Amino acid sequence: MPDLPTQTTSAPGKAGDRPPTAGIIAPNLAAVAEALSEPAERSPLSATIDRIAPTRDERLFLVLSIFIGVISGLLVVAFRIAIEWIRLLTLGSAPHPGQLRLLFVPGIAGLVVASLVIWFFPAARGSGVNQTKAALYVYDGYISFRTVIGKFLTSAIALGSGHSLGPEDPSLQIGAGVASIIARNLRLSRRRLRMFAPIGAAAGLAAAFNAPISAILFVIEEVIGSWSAAVLGSLVLAAISSVVVVRGFMGTEPIFRIPSITVRDPRELLAYAVLGLFGGLLAPVFSATLGFLRPRLRALPRWTLFAQPAIAGLMVGAIGYFGFPQVMGVGYDVIDQALHGQFVWQLLIALTFLKLLATTVSFSSGTPGGMFAPTLFIGAMLGGAVGAFEQHFFPHLTGTVGAYSLVGMGVLFAGFLRVPLTSVFMVLEISGNYSIIIPVILANTIAFLISRSLQPVGIFETFTHQDGLDLPSMEAMREESVLHIEDAVQPIGVPIVRDSDTIQSVSEIMARDHATASLVHLSDGSWYALSSEELASATATLTPEAPVQRALKSDRTPSLFPDLPLDSALHSFPRWPVLPVLNRASRGTLEGVLTLNDVLRCYRGGD
Amino acid sequence: MATLNAGTVLTPEERLARRRLILRDAASLLTLFLITVVIFLLTLLLYRSFQNHRQVLGLRWKGRGEAALRAGNSIQAIDALRSALAYLPDDRQTEIDLAMALAQAGKTVEATAYFNTLLESAPGDGTINLELARLAAKRGNERLAVQRYHAALDGTWEGNGYDRRREVRLELARYLLSRKEYTSARTQLLIAASNAPEDPSIKDEIAGLLEQAQDPTDALGLYRTVAARRDAPLAAFEGAGRSAFNLGLYRVVNAYLTRALGHPGATALPPPETAGDQYMLKTASHILLLFPALDLAPRSRAERILYIRKVARLRLSACAASNSSAAPKVAPIVGRWDQLPADLTLSQLEQQPDLENSILQLAWDTETATAQICGQPGGDDALLLRIAQNPEAVEQE
Repeated sequence: MPDLPTQTTSAPGKAGDRPPTAGIIAPNLAAVAEALSEPAERSPLSATIDRIAPTRDERLFLVLSIFIGVISGLLVVAFRIAIEWIRLLTLGSAPHPGQLRLLFVPGIAGLVVASLVIWFFPAARGSGVNQTKAALYVYDGYISFRTVIGKFLTSAIALGSGHSLGPEDPSLQIGAGVASIIARNLRLSRRRLRMFAPIGAAAGLAAAFNAPISAILFVIEEVIGSWSAAVLGSLVLAAISSVVVVRGFMGTEPIFRIPSITVRDPRELLAYAVLGLFGGLLAPVFSATLGFLRPRLRALPRWTLFAQPAIAGLMVGAIGYFGFPQVMGVGYDVIDQALHGQFVWQLLIALTFLKLLATTVSFSSGTPGGMFAPTLFIGAMLGGAVGAFEQHFFPHLTGTVGAYSLVGMGVLFAGFLRVPLTSVFMVLEISGNYSIIIPVILANTIAFLISRSLQPVGIFETFTHQDGLDLPSMEAMREESVLHIEDAVQPIGVPIVRDSDTIQSVSEIMARDHATASLVHLSDGSWYALSSEELASATATLTPEAPVQRALKSDRTPSLFPDLPLDSALHSFPRWPVLPVLNRASRGTLEGVLTLNDVLRCYRGGD
Repeated sequence: MATLNAGTVLTPEERLARRRLILRDAASLLTLFLITVVIFLLTLLLYRSFQNHRQVLGLRWKGRGEAALRAGNSIQAIDALRSALAYLPDDRQTEIDLAMALAQAGKTVEATAYFNTLLESAPGDGTINLELARLAAKRGNERLAVQRYHAALDGTWEGNGYDRRREVRLELARYLLSRKEYTSARTQLLIAASNAPEDPSIKDEIAGLLEQAQDPTDALGLYRTVAARRDAPLAAFEGAGRSAFNLGLYRVVNAYLTRALGHPGATALPPPETAGDQYMLKTASHILLLFPALDLAPRSRAERILYIRKVARLRLSACAASNSSAAPKVAPIVGRWDQLPADLTLSQLEQQPDLENSILQLAWDTETATAQICGQPGGDDALLLRIAQNPEAVEQE
């Protein structure tokens, strides 16, 4: 096993199992995503490998992605079975209200989980998404073996014993951990190592959801933050491999049995829009509740950390004992029932708010587990309630309650987790029904916009801040406005000459205009920015009648267009005093020119 | 796997290092492969054992649920069947049983929602449509109930669809009878009758429903076909007698009820039913003794007509005297009697068949009018009133 990566940030493991103490500030995410093509500091071993086998990393990267996918898939299957076994052993095969074990089992399990987390697996606490992001941006892709074991064990106990959390987030982290372990053992470069965590995360999430596209999109939307050809291939390979494994065990059916859904009348979109509205209002309530309770519980004395999951378990158990065992555990079967319209709207509303409460206390108490399944659960119940309510008062609506539940899942996913693209594809992927796309897009967009306006900070970012990390906000990144060349381009203020003009005439023009540079238009249509120094040097060695073409060096100014990012011009300035900005439709036509000062002024906002 | 860089000239040490790297990578990948195989085998073991356990649990809960459903413990059945579905999620029969349990438990809305969901995946399923019809009927939604019953009739059925459809049709007919939709019920029953197998009990059942649908004619026809069998059941004789009684076919009543009461099974009939049969038989016998049948000897026929004349006139006099308001009402009838000869001998009557008919018609009109004005009569007047309702039917076979 290779040594831990040595760098400025604290290494986990030894390091990663304790709360991180260092973070990064506004990293250049595109640069991280493109790290594979960027030269970086290399260890002597890496340098040697680079020399004797320069394409090794790249090829291993793809091969290992398949291994990561397969192993992640296997572990996620084992994880899900472990949860089910524990559920059977602790809560019995048919939990019903009034069974005393419903009251006590989650509490006792909370105590066990808290002990395991505090004494043995401190990194198992918290959001797997954020820990994977931390691995990517802070710890060079390092996730310890102990964290993987801890996450598997503690999450399985917590979820199996009825805590109101989901298995997807732990699956994501298990996948990321597997990837990290494998990559470290193959002595890949640090750049590659860093990118393995999100690849494993995609594999883990794809296996958990049995939905590869959604998993890939989620990792891109929430972990990596940008599309990168360098990792996309590996993400796809890993996600597909893991899903193939899961389907080999669990079958090709989607995670939920989806009833047939059609939208017959476009006016029904109004009903779905109302669902989007409710989802957009509920999502910030959920976020705010978590954002309020979690830091306060964490701020309590250390000894209470043992008791918090137990008390949370007791509360969840009480909800189950006194009539609503549906809120206990993962709740896929309950979502399935809601999708098939098996609940009346009053029960759906009750389950919406009770699940929200149970999940808030479970997660805030530090019990390992994720937010995906509870989000889907609450969304499905909310959707079903709104759908049933609307159908009660507007019986002409033809959409089934199941259709509203399905759209509701996407609505809360978009509003609460703030991943609008993933939310749409997730619904499509788990339903296998394209006809639902318009209601989904409409409702998800409404929910996303309302939620974002009411609660500007997304839930993952909130958790990041509460954990003392400063990880990049993908949502903020998507909102970032990128400056383009057109924002800095200036009217042509330098002389324009032809390459056939004599050196003398060009010198006279430049002297007349007091110009420090001129743009030479070459006969082949290209341009050359000639500085006064270059001209002076040419004057000394060439005759005045010689064409200026003879004074030019072999390179040419780059072709810049107004729509290109402004930073694409930056690297040209040490070489060129001024850059011509061309028209894409007519390359011979100049739109303007750009100097280093123009670019800097634009970045400073002085334009 | 380490890859050579053909374009680079390597020193002997680098070549050695490259070989080592290739071997190391190969060993690492092989190890990784073996680890994958081990994890796969462990997961497979875990998965198989878990699946078997799920199957066992699913079947156990399904058995409990079905038993509870059969025993009428619908709440227990719901819990058990829900648990069964958690382990056997695609078991359609369990889903239907659960929906039935919900309906049985009075959770009509939930049951309807459940059945509607099941219907989405199988819109032509007869069982589901039938259950939805029952639920709609329970909720008082007659239009939807009838619609669902028809969908059930047109739907697909497992097993003997022919019998199931007939049962649904009879259930629909019963529902329509309960809503007093006699015409629609009669239509369904006639369709059922035309498709009914040669099973006496089924024909008897349909005939009974036809009686309820106020269609004694078709009921009698059906009873008669059953009664014509060598092993005709008692119910067929009783039903035929009853239907004939309602139609005023007293000769037929006499024939069937005599056979019914002489049937070996008659001793096992409930006393009220026996009493009812005996009453109808007695009434029919009296009517036949009273009625001046055309096949009687002229003298006997004339004697009966004179007796009927006497009884009717007494009834008219009594009715007119009963209260002051009755006299004007019966005056037209009295006037018609006055137009007939006051004193008639048997011989005179035998010679005048037209007069016989006029007297009989007036007697029937008298009994009908006095029943309307002075209330239901008793004794021979009651018998005459029955004859008056359909005199031509009395002697029909």
